[in-house]
Parts: sequence; structure tokens; C-alpha cells
Amino acid sequence: MKQAHRVVGTSARRADAVAKVTGGARYTVDLSVPGMAYAFVVRSTRAHAAITGIDRTAAAASPGVIRVLIGDDLLAAGLTPYYGHVVLDHPVLAIERVRFQGEPVAVVVAETKREAAEAAELVDVSYEDLPVVIDAQEALKPDAPVLHERRGERVGDEGMDEGEKGLVGNVCAIARVEWGNIDEAFAGAHLVVEGEYRYPMLYGYAMEPYNALAFFDQGDLVVFSTAQHVYMVRRDLARMFHLPLARVRVSAPYVGGGYGTKSYTKVEGMTAAAAFFTGRAVKLDLSVEEAMLTTRSASAHIRARSAFTADGRLLGRDFQIVMNNGAYTDNTPLVNSKTANRCFGPYRIPALRVVARSVFTNTVPSSSLRGFGAPQGNIAGELQMDEAAAKLGIDPVELRLRNLVGPGEEFMPGKRPLDADLKDDLRCLASSLEWPGTSIGRSIGLGVSASDAGAYPTSTAAVRIHSDASVTLFTGSTELGQGSRTVLAQIVAEELGVALETVGVVNGDTGVVTYERTTGASRTTTITGRAVQEACRDARQRVRDLAVQAFDLPRGDIEDIPGGIRARGRDLSYGEVIEKWFGAGGEVLGHGAVRRAEGFAKMPPFYEIGCTGLELSVDRETGQVHVIKLTTVGDVGFAINPALVHGQDAGAAMMGLGAALHEELIYEGGGQLVNPNVVDYRVPRFADIPDDMVHLLAERADGSGPFGAKGAGEGAGNTVGSATASAIGRLLGIFPHELPATPERVWRLIREAERRGRSQ
Amino acid sequence: MGTREIRLRVNRGERRVVIEDQTLLIELVRGLGLVGTKLSCDSQVCGACTVLLDGRPVSSCTTLAIEADGKPVETIEGLADGTKLHPLQEAFIERFAFQCGYCTPGMIVSAKALLDAHPEPDVAKVRQWMEGNICRCTGYQTIVEAVLDAADQMRSAR
Amino acid sequence: MLRRFDVHRVTSVAEAVALRQRFGEDAAIYAGGTELLLAMKMGVARWPHLIDVKPIGSLAQISASTDTLRIGATATHWDIERNPLVAEALPALAQLEANVANVRVRAAGTLAGNLAFGEPHADPPSMLIALGARVLLEGRAGSRSVAVAEFITGMYETALAADEVIVAIEIPLPGKNVRAAYVKFQILERPSVGVAALGTVRDGRFVGAPTVVVGAVDEMARPVPTAQFAGADARDAGTLEAIADAARAAVEPIADLAGSVEFKRHLVGVITQRACAALAAEAL
Repeated sequence: MKQAHRVVGTSARRADAVAKVTGGARYTVDLSVPGMAYAFVVRSTRAHAAITGIDRTAAAASPGVIRVLIGDDLLAAGLTPYYGHVVLDHPVLAIERVRFQGEPVAVVVAETKREAAEAAELVDVSYEDLPVVIDAQEALKPDAPVLHERRGERVGDEGMDEGEKGLVGNVCAIARVEWGNIDEAFAGAHLVVEGEYRYPMLYGYAMEPYNALAFFDQGDLVVFSTAQHVYMVRRDLARMFHLPLARVRVSAPYVGGGYGTKSYTKVEGMTAAAAFFTGRAVKLDLSVEEAMLTTRSASAHIRARSAFTADGRLLGRDFQIVMNNGAYTDNTPLVNSKTANRCFGPYRIPALRVVARSVFTNTVPSSSLRGFGAPQGNIAGELQMDEAAAKLGIDPVELRLRNLVGPGEEFMPGKRPLDADLKDDLRCLASSLEWPGTSIGRSIGLGVSASDAGAYPTSTAAVRIHSDASVTLFTGSTELGQGSRTVLAQIVAEELGVALETVGVVNGDTGVVTYERTTGASRTTTITGRAVQEACRDARQRVRDLAVQAFDLPRGDIEDIPGGIRARGRDLSYGEVIEKWFGAGGEVLGHGAVRRAEGFAKMPPFYEIGCTGLELSVDRETGQVHVIKLTTVGDVGFAINPALVHGQDAGAAMMGLGAALHEELIYEGGGQLVNPNVVDYRVPRFADIPDDMVHLLAERADGSGPFGAKGAGEGAGNTVGSATASAIGRLLGIFPHELPATPERVWRLIREAERRGRSQ
Repeated sequence: MGTREIRLRVNRGERRVVIEDQTLLIELVRGLGLVGTKLSCDSQVCGACTVLLDGRPVSSCTTLAIEADGKPVETIEGLADGTKLHPLQEAFIERFAFQCGYCTPGMIVSAKALLDAHPEPDVAKVRQWMEGNICRCTGYQTIVEAVLDAADQMRSAR
Repeated sequence: MLRRFDVHRVTSVAEAVALRQRFGEDAAIYAGGTELLLAMKMGVARWPHLIDVKPIGSLAQISASTDTLRIGATATHWDIERNPLVAEALPALAQLEANVANVRVRAAGTLAGNLAFGEPHADPPSMLIALGARVLLEGRAGSRSVAVAEFITGMYETALAADEVIVAIEIPLPGKNVRAAYVKFQILERPSVGVAALGTVRDGRFVGAPTVVVGAVDEMARPVPTAQFAGADARDAGTLEAIADAARAAVEPIADLAGSVEFKRHLVGVITQRACAALAAEAL
């Protein structure tokens, strides 16, 4: 199968390689335009307060200051002062009230960043404090302070399948997944495993903090930014300024890390507003500390029960999930509903009940982050498989094998059947880790997941074949480092039969490239890749049309060959056909589109598989965990670029280890972040590399993407948290139910295990 | 407040630059158009802003530009010789040791300081030296491999 | 973002002292800048004047006599970890210095600056106190020398007078048979617990009492009363546990992101045992 291909299936060099190793790659933060002014944000010092006054006189009089902008200015100018792709409730700048510490209250625009920063200190905001609620469980109580007495306007459906039903108090969104008779299932169970599980709130730390450069060109808004979803941001900005989509251009050059944290609008609204009110090009670049006050991921508190037969077959699962949403809606409804879909696992479950609620609190708004609910859900769903195995005396791998669905089998009624062989993946994983392991003091944990990935399958692409037979691909997919330019170029080279070096890629600019819904949910290879294939096929069709006319050929005599056509025994390159048809110069344009039809008719467009495990040891004196080996099985259908898949798997797994062992945003009760910088918020480092890392590929051409491919990028991290907890639990005899498993938490588990051991 | 003119060698060129006393080295180099050096954590923990000052790796985000007076400064832009890449740059490409690329300039400059000081590092040395450089994309292993490859390559070229 | 300030580059200690007198609270001594500039960027400290002492060539020197190692005030961690005199005379200090923060901080940051900042979560103070090191200061009234144990007076507080400048750190060299060890437990950017141990073990027993100083866990490094362990069996688990008990009792841990008071006190015991065990492991 693989041998039939020339370019796909090879670890071709990254298209952005030289630019990125020489310092030549230009990110948004590197861009400037002549006459550019700088913005600096004044942020709320309060977690929840009414704004009783904003005195900007001193700031406005400060040297170099052009304008001090507040939320009321947007209202007065008739702009839409809110954004949000699901609910229009996130103020560009606070209006009347602040709902989290760090919320933007004003923007100072000045000639230099220093002048803007100095003047920002002079903006005098008066507050009247309101009661603060930080914890999601507290926020659900009847007497909790309510963040949104009036709900924002609904402008999108993502994650709102249940509509407004039950959205009272601080409940932002509800998701339900139910089938079978849950009460009967539990009544007839041989074993019920029950527990509460917690997954931390995280900061994704994309190393290029959010930043944007905005200006108006004859009334058209032009924004360069760190956006993952340029077309989503375009829609928010068009709404804000009452502009048609065609008059808003959002462009993302190289982006310094995404991982979901840069999906949807962040600083673009503030920057564009600053440009609007000053008539200047304005740059706003946040510090990492400010980025930490912009977006985080939702923490989860899960009450879970799983019912098993004596031989380890699942009878039913029941999950009550509460997610800490933060102050505004943003993308949390979708994260909430994905958590609901991803918590129970790709198992045969006769009866299921999942109720997930996403709850407003006075904390940084949460949104997407790699894994998108799967790591949160797995800490309960996968760990209970291990807890049940321990109680039933069944090997945890065997227990999973007894319950996993097979290829082509449905596990969510009405949804796409599983497009993977998870049992075989799990066997590969277990074999790589030498399961069950025999060494004393070491322990293996592993897990599987199947995420409903790909988001909504709308994608378009265009290819231009030039008169020298080189090709330019236009795609709305943003290059975040995942290698989309490389993979998509490989698909073009394969489809058109041209050399990879002759394929150029233009991407991530709504003013130039074709529509792409999002760059997330591991969708680019699968969905954009299919649109690219279609564009190539369309271009080939047009080349044949040209050949028919230019060489006066009967259509039936033309066949495709790599890089051109063959007619009457003669090979003609694309360039020859194009030049002949035009007489001089010219080009051919092919357009491709995919939608929720044909291969993508059934949702989700594909499942992203997670199959990662690790072996670890624990320092019983300090509680410190050491990861000895980590294996990922990349079940990607077909690896268009194996090295890039390995890179995604390694990166996702390492991020997963961060949450498993170290990372957690911590709030004190008054609403201040306790670790508001990356000195105190510890992400994985070189010291955390497992002694051995193995990245396996499972290629069965069973994906809905090009050449049988399906997405990677998140799956490898999805089970790392639960696998870590599982390994620690198997070693200590008590399973941790809360991540990260910090030295202190592990030490407390060790002590608890000792206590139990003594009392027995 | 004070401004002064300093003279320094940046990569291969002698420069005279007027700075303010509080000007940071990263502001100086980026102001010269050398924007490969990146700001991220702004607190010396991530290493994205690493440059070599007088041959030593420093966080240019927390180093005053004044320090460069009379000294050589080497940034990522100084590693390649025209279109001929430095062995570290070649190795980073071959090993896919970067993704988004934002940490990469600092990572490569830090690795160059390592190989200058320890031409034949082992895995432990690479990890210990690079501990202060954060990468959020790769999971680090490919970076370790790239640095070791470059060391091998440079040794065999000697 | 840094606010505006003036840098005064001085070429003599006298000049630095004069500027200290002139500017008083408005000036800070600037050498490595790794702590100072960070604090200024965060806005927790603001000084209109920085007195740059690096141009004073003599302050960068590291020298050793038969009984003393002298480390100049502008010698960086990088200088110290590579210095052959340090490696020869005090390998445990060289080792400690090689693991302070990260390579860039070591390349710029100075040992004197580390002490001057009074940062409680630091590696060097416990070792320097264990070694009986002294800080040499020069001020308006002349020079004086203060034991490191007295120089650090609290969290971010030192005995440095408003007109004084650190000139050097003098470390008495331990006897030939004395071993030194520094063991730390670190998860975040700075150590959670660091223990310096110093002593001689012969035939499995401590010769005299070992010196143990616990750092990074309390407001400042704390010496552990160890007199009772003179001559004790250094390889005996009971002895090590008893020293650990003494160490736990000697500190008032500060709860922070690295752990609770209870956990840190526990860690103090564990790391103390490991440091003392290292003395025995390297014994004659």
C-alpha cells in the first residue's frame, strides 16, 4: 500500500525548517508597520466588582498617550462590545462590572510601549466589591453570587445541544449522554466502582503570548494575530464593527504554539478597537503573565460509578461532571459536551448516563486546550477500569480487551462506528511496555481513548498550477508548528505528481486563502487534507479541459501521469498544457471543498485514538515520581509524514505528563491566582523526559482522510494522566483520584497506604 | 535619564548603538532587526531569548544592553554562514527538533554554548545544560538527539 | 517592563561606597542583575540608580591561600563552578554552584548577589554557613567582616548597611579529612529544601560532631544542633534518623507552592539523612 506512494508516507523535511532554525521565521510579534502605536491593557485588580468609575485624565495627559479606551467608548460608538462564538457575553473591555482578576478594563494607546505602560498605571478605576466565587461546586449552591444575571445573546450552537434548559444560576452549559436503563444495570452488578476524581485547571503556555497588530485600510479592518482559527476571529470582528466578512482580513503568520489556547478571539477585539478609535495601526502584545489571565483550560470534578459483571464486563457507567468554566462562556460549552462524550471510553456499555455541567466562576475564562475534555474525562473513566481490574482480580489490559469495541462497531448510538482497531493498539502498547512488568518498585499504567474529533467538517482549498508546473496551495489552516504546511504540501505533490520542492503553501490569511472552519480538533490532515485532494483533482480536470482545446484532443484519449497528462503516447507537463492554451503565461486554478456529506456524512468525521502508557517509579521518601518509559501508539490510519506524527505524539504525551505530575493553576479564595507566572507554574522540562520514549505507529488505512489517514496531535496525551494515576495506584495500593500527582500528594498516599497496611 | 552610545560586535558586524540605561539586551538586538531572538517568560526560566554575550549564554530579557558595551553578542542569525547552516541547525532540521519554532533560536544558541564549552557531551550533560530552556511542542527528546548529532558531526569535521 | 533608571559604572570600591552614601535608598548595587532586574521588572522594587560594580576588576577574582578561599563579589556562579581553585579546595561548593538555577542565571548571577538578596529559597547560604564563610563589606566607616550566618537576617533582609558594598566572600577551607555534601530537593525554579553537611567520618564514626545546615525551607538557613552526635556511628540508621529529627526541630518551614509545612518538615528529615549519608559514603 505504502509503496504505491511517492511523497506521502515519507518523513519529508518540514516546509518551514530553514526559517525556523535561522531565526528567519516571522511571527506576529515580529511584525510592525510604519507609524504603529502601542497598546497596553489596564486589568482588574478585583475578582468580582462593580466598576463605579474610571478616571483617565491623568493617563490621557501622560507623555505620548494617544487615547485611553474603555468599554463604554465601544458602546457609545455603536460597536458590538462583546464577543463569543457561542454566547455573546465576553466584553472586549469590561462594562459596568468585572468578573475575574485580570479582566481588561481599559486600553492605553501611546506612541511607545513604555509610554503606554507608564500611563496605564495612572488609570484610576474605582470598584465596589461583589461576593466572589472561585470553586465550581460552590458556584452551584443556591446562595452563590451569580455572575451573569442576564445571559448574552446566543450566536452559535457548539456544545448547546440541550439549549437553555436548566441554565440557571451559574450553570453555563449542560451536556447529557444517556442510553439503556442505568438503574437496572447497577442493580444487577457484581461490582460497582465509585469515586470522585479531579483534573486540574491548566495554562497551555504557548510560548508566543497572545498579540495582534490591527489597522483600518479605507474602512476595511486588517488584523495580524496569533489566532488559530482566523475565520472564527473574522466573524467576531465583523460583528463587532458591523462589517461584512469580506471587509475583515485576519492573518496569522507563523504562530508560536497553539495547542488550542489560541482558538477563537483573544486580543484581536481590543487591538482592533484601539485602531478604530485612534485611526492608527496599533500593536498589542501581552506578557506571559497577561496570557495566563486570558485563557486557561477547564478543571473537572467528576463523580463516577461503573458497574461490572464478575468477569469484568461493563454493565453501566454513570458520570456527574462539573467543570469550572471561568467568567465567560467562550468555548466551554463545547469542551463540556466533549468531556461528556469522552469520559466513558470506547467500550461496549449497555447503560450510560453522563450529565456534565459547566459553571461560571470568578476565574480566568476557560476554553480549548489539547485533548479538549478527554484528559479530564479519562481520569475518571480509565482509572475506574484499573480500579475494577484490581478489585476483580483481572488483568487491566484483559479487562479493557473484554470491553473495547471492535473496528466498525458503534459505541455511541447513531454516531460513526469506531474507525480503529483499539484492541490491537492496546496489545502493541502492552507489548512495548513489557506488560505487566516484573521489576520491584516499578509500575506500568496505560489507557485508551477515542475522541470524537475533527469538529464540523467544513473545509475548502485551492491549488494554482503555474506555467512552469510548480504549484501553490492556498489553505485556511494555520501553521502552529504541527506541520500542516508540510503535510498538505506532501498531499499536493502526491496528487499532482510533482516534486515536493515545487509546492508552495500560502496559509492562514482570510484575505487571501480559502475558507477553513478551524485549525483544531486534530482535523487538518483528515479534513483539510481531503479538501486539498479535491482541489488537486479539480485542477487536473481543468488541465485536461485545457489540453482538449489546446491540442485538439478527444477527451477519452487523455490520461493523468505524474506532473501532467499523456495523450496519444505523448507526455505533456502541466506547464506545457497551460502555456499552449494561453499562448503565454497563465495558470490553472483548482478548488476543493468538503462538507458534512459523503465520507464525512456521519459525525464525528473521525475518532482520534489515544493509546499511551508509561512505566514509573516512586521515591517513597519524597513522593517524587520518575517516568522510566513512555510509549505512544499513533493509530493514524496512514502517516503522511511519520516524523511529524511522532512529533505530535511526543509533544502531546509530554504535555500530558505536565498535568499528570506538576501543572495546576491555583486560586486563593479571594480570586487571586497564586501561581500567575511560569516561574511558579511549572511546565515539563528536559529533566522530565522519560528515560526511554517509544513512538509506535498503527497504520491500517482506516481513516476518513487522504490515503486512509486520520488525525493526531491530542490523542497521545489523553490517557497520560489516567495512566500515571493508574501506575501510581498499582504501585502504592491506593489510586490517586486527583491530579497532578505532586510529590506531596504522592507522599500523602504513601502514608495513607502505610496506615491502611498497619490497620490490617 | 541616561542615554549613551555603546559599541559592540553583533554576530559578524561592529555596531554603534545609542541606548538608554534601562534598555534590555533583547530590545537592543530586536531593535537591530535581529528578531529571531524571542521574548517569552520574561523571567529567565524559558530560554527563548538566549543570546551569547562574550561567549556565555544569557537571558537577553534580563540583561541590560549596557553589558554588551565592547563585547561580542551572538544571536541565532549569526550561526549560519550565508546559506550554509551550522551543524546544530542541520541537526535540528533532520531530527524534527522543533515544531512551532518559537523556542528554537534560544534552544540552538544555548546548545551552541554547550558545544563550545563541552564539545563531547553525553545525554546527561545535554539535559542538565538545556534544563533552563523550555519547549512546549516537541517533548524535548528530539532536541537532545539533535544536539548529540551535531556534536558528532562537528567532531568528525575537526 | 523596566522603568527608567541611571546606571553608574564605578571602577573602585570607594566610588561605589560614595554613591551608596549619595543616593541612599534610591540606589542599589548592580552586578549580575539576575535577581535585581527581575524584581524591578515585576515592579516589586524600583531604584532610580543602579551602581554597577562589575568594572571594578579586583572584585571578579577568586583566590585561595592555604586556609581560605576568597571569592570576589562579582564572581559569577559560572566562574565559580569552573574555577580550578574551587574544584580543588571545595568540590562540594563547585558542585552546588553548577546546579544553581539554570545555565544563563549562572553565567550572569553572582554568589555575592545571591547573598545580598536574602532570598530564602537559595542554594548557597546553607553551604556557606556550614563552612563558616564570612562576607567582607566595605562602607563609609571602613571595612568589616560578617559571618554569613549573621549577614542574612531574614527573608530578603541582610545586615548590609545603606552605605556598604560587598567586596568578597571568604570561606575557611575545611581540613583535609573533612567532607562536605549538599543535597537538595527541587521541583520548582528554586529548591524546596537544601541541606549542607560537613564532617569527618573515620572508621564509620563521626570525628567530632558533623555540621548540618538546612536551607531554602525557612525564612533563612538554619544550623542544626548536632553536638550530641560527636563520635556517633555515621552508618547507623538510628544516628541518621536522630540527626533528621534534630533538623526537623530546627526549622519552621514556610508553606508555599512546593508544599505544606508538614510535608516540608518531612522533606527536611529525608534530605538531611541523605546529606549525612553522603558524608559517610565518601568517608576515608
